[in-house]
Amino acid sequence: MIVSVKNLVKRYDDLLAIDHLNLTVHDGEVFGLLGPNGSGKTTAINCILALLEYDKGEIEIFGRPMKPEAYDIKRHIGVVMQNVAVYNELTVEENINYFCGLYVADKKLRQELVREAIEFVGLQEFTKYYPKKLSGGLLRRLNIACGIAHKPKLIILDEPTVAVDPQSRNKILEGILELNQQGATIIYTTHYMEEVEQICSRIMIIDKGRSIAVGTKDELKAMITLGEKITVESQRITAAQLSALRRLPNIVSAEYKNRLLVIKSSKGSNNLETVLEFIKQEKIQFGKIYSELPTLNDVFLEITGKQLRD
Amino acid sequence: MSLHIFGNRLKCLLRDKENVFWTMLFPILLAVFFNLALSNVNAGESFQAIKLAVVNNSSFHNDQALQTALDAAAAGEQKLFELTLTSQEQAEQLLTEQKVSAYLLVDEEPVLVVSKTGIRESIIKSFLDSYLQTTAAVNTILQNNPNNPALLFQSAGERQNYLAEVTGSAADPNNILIFFYSLIAMSCFYGGFWGMREVTDIQADISALAARINISPQHKLKAFLSSLTASYLIHFSELILLLLFLRYVLQIDFGAKSGYVVLTTALGSLAGIAYGAFISALVKKSENMKVAILIGTTMFGSFLAGMMIQDIKYLVSQKFPLLAYVNPINLLTDAFYSLYYYDTFSRYFLNITILGGMTIAFCLGTYVIVRRRKYASL
Ligand SMILES: Nc1ncnc2c1ncn2[C@@H]1O[C@H](COP(=O)(O)OP(=O)(O)OP(=O)(O)O)[C@@H](O)[C@H]1O
Ligand SMILES: [Mg+2]
Repeated sequence: MIVSVKNLVKRYDDLLAIDHLNLTVHDGEVFGLLGPNGSGKTTAINCILALLEYDKGEIEIFGRPMKPEAYDIKRHIGVVMQNVAVYNELTVEENINYFCGLYVADKKLRQELVREAIEFVGLQEFTKYYPKKLSGGLLRRLNIACGIAHKPKLIILDEPTVAVDPQSRNKILEGILELNQQGATIIYTTHYMEEVEQICSRIMIIDKGRSIAVGTKDELKAMITLGEKITVESQRITAAQLSALRRLPNIVSAEYKNRLLVIKSSKGSNNLETVLEFIKQEKIQFGKIYSELPTLNDVFLEITGKQLRD
Repeated sequence: MSLHIFGNRLKCLLRDKENVFWTMLFPILLAVFFNLALSNVNAGESFQAIKLAVVNNSSFHNDQALQTALDAAAAGEQKLFELTLTSQEQAEQLLTEQKVSAYLLVDEEPVLVVSKTGIRESIIKSFLDSYLQTTAAVNTILQNNPNNPALLFQSAGERQNYLAEVTGSAADPNNILIFFYSLIAMSCFYGGFWGMREVTDIQADISALAARINISPQHKLKAFLSSLTASYLIHFSELILLLLFLRYVLQIDFGAKSGYVVLTTALGSLAGIAYGAFISALVKKSENMKVAILIGTTMFGSFLAGMMIQDIKYLVSQKFPLLAYVNPINLLTDAFYSLYYYDTFSRYFLNITILGGMTIAFCLGTYVIVRRRKYASL
């Protein structure tokens, strides 16, 4: 077990930011912490890192209690904070060297590590640049390089892709998977469900500081009653047809809006077939039909009654 | 002590142009300006006023404060400037024909246009910089605390007086020294810029950089002290440069006890850094507000210590003796002066002891406040 959090409670004055949170991260996982803005992801991470004092709970990393002065634990952790944290007066290379040097004293070894980190995030052409001259995406990559250059066993990334263009984002996500393949355990927080689905082996969904579901993405999707969502583009659907649709077996809801018929079904097979059969019977004209499996957003929606992102 | 942190911090701080300007170049410019004004007075010849053109547009017309400041500097027997109000084209022409040293164009901010660099240009620039600095400080304070503007307003007003005052005052060599001693004292307290930055950079709730150091396997207090040592080394070196400049370029004689002058400067630098650190920890406002308070209080302290008008110093020590003893800049100025003036050290040691006590209080205060924040940062 790499990280274990038991019954963590953190208050900011009256606000209960973390509410009895339990969490375990196993060796070699890419663990995703998914939650909307303000759900307590950063707070949880800061508590785990002993950056923030908390009201209650036990936190262990690598099987030992985590404290502000637990330097032997900290030595093996790498963190990429939500806010970019680099020195504006140091160049790309100097920044990475500086932060790496907080962990690695040996100069030779450090030189090598810095070079690898620069290559890893693809900043070779920018080593002599000052942070002010970097674009947003490049700056994020520098921020990542500063956090991981010392090759930590546990890497914690707090929304590293916020405000990053899709190209940089993909590069970052691939990089994280690569770090994981090289043996690092990853904790990744985000409010983008697509990212979590793409890279995480296990996911915890949190809301208002509480864990509302944990599991692999398939396990999470299996928790809810919703099956697939079928969308039909059609010029005309009558009210009678709509209510007939709703009476079909396994159909949970059917709505027609903006020439789109959206049908949600509960779990089970043949739902698409049933709908196609109905359309044929009623001789409904249609442009396109497609069927989607539930997303983590649907999981979030079903458990909390609200959208993951608004 | 971590050499890695110390070394990188040095690099970082030396590239912080703004801080280096305020803590080193600004005092040197001010010294040049003092010297010029005072030595002219000394020599008994009338001061050759610097010719300055001002573009008379509507922005200038509306900038009452700037007009007052310029008028003060361009009035009287010993005036600093000779002003020409004119159009921009005309000003440009005057400058090319070298009929004026520079011209001032007020747009959103006053901009100085020069055709070469030299002592006259530096004086105009230093005048403008200190004017801008003070008005910015006053504005920030007014915005944040409109109920109690009296304090700074006063010092801003005096600021303009001082330009007239300095040029006109009697030039007893002892009195001239007071100006320079208070200038050194002010420079010591401008070290507050460095102290402020140090404290900001260790508070994980304010700065993401601090968080990054907090999560690393570095002992917090040790990291902070390494970094602080870098600040101290830089600031002390700047002050040594200032002393050398005063001594060898401006030929100011500090008397026989020059070793003590350096020692006092070393303590003054520490006091200034500690003061900035304390302000930074104490004031839970924006960075700009902290800077404004630092500059405002330092300027005001220097003013009371006689940097702008010497009589103020005597007034304070006669009417409000306690104020003379709690104003660290005055303590420092007097410490320098007593080195020069008295043969015994008793007055000097008294001042240094009080100042040392204040420095310790600033440090402890900073430590306690930073510790009490929610983030476990020290
Ligand atoms: N220093 C603080 N003082 C008071 N309240 C805070 C503080 N930091 C966070 N909060 C509050 O705690 C809650 C959780 O915040 P947190 O930053 O942990 O959320 P998050 O999930 O990281 O959000 P985001 O996706 O926006 O980064 C929010 O309601 C936030 O307003
Ligand atoms: Mg966050």
